[in-house]
Amino acid sequence: MHPLFRDPAYNRYLKRFIPASVVYAGAIVLASMLIPDHAKASPLTIGIALLPGLACTAMIWAMARLLVEMEDEYLRLIEIKKALIATGFALGVAATWGLLELYTDVPKLPVFLIFPIWCFGLAVGQIWIKVRDK
Amino acid sequence: MKNRLKVLRAERDWNQQDLADALGVSRQSVNAIETGKYDPSLPLAFRIADVFALPIEAIFLRD
Repeated sequence: MHPLFRDPAYNRYLKRFIPASVVYAGAIVLASMLIPDHAKASPLTIGIALLPGLACTAMIWAMARLLVEMEDEYLRLIEIKKALIATGFALGVAATWGLLELYTDVPKLPVFLIFPIWCFGLAVGQIWIKVRDK
Repeated sequence: MKNRLKVLRAERDWNQQDLADALGVSRQSVNAIETGKYDPSLPLAFRIADVFALPIEAIFLRD
């Protein structure tokens, strides 16, 4: 078992993150069903479309609380390094793709994908730290 | 920073998990400190000193 899973902060993280991710998935399905493509912005459509964004923000808050509450300082440092690598990765992808969009006719990268790209960056960070520490 | 953690642990016939349990940290943390990958915070360094009943400077050495 990974030592992080034994930290009580990780249990609290799961209790926050899992409900937020369930709400996120449900809100995405709900918004896709209720809002037709290219619908005009109205209080109703904005209200529905905000739900997954707020759930996503709750997921980010749960991840931030994990970093604050972790008791093992070395494991916390590893998680912070991963988050920094993920941030650099997401910013790099966004900046590079944004410039490609500016100067060429590549497809537009939807902004809501930045968070999933950042999460992918966490995996990149995990691999980078493992390889470096070998 | 160099340290004598591995020697002190061996003198007491402790494995890394024994020391980790005594300190309330993960075995990975003990390993990272022993191998010099991570320098502990001052509070953790004091806890390590308390566990070995030694002053900090008898455990952690200047480079």
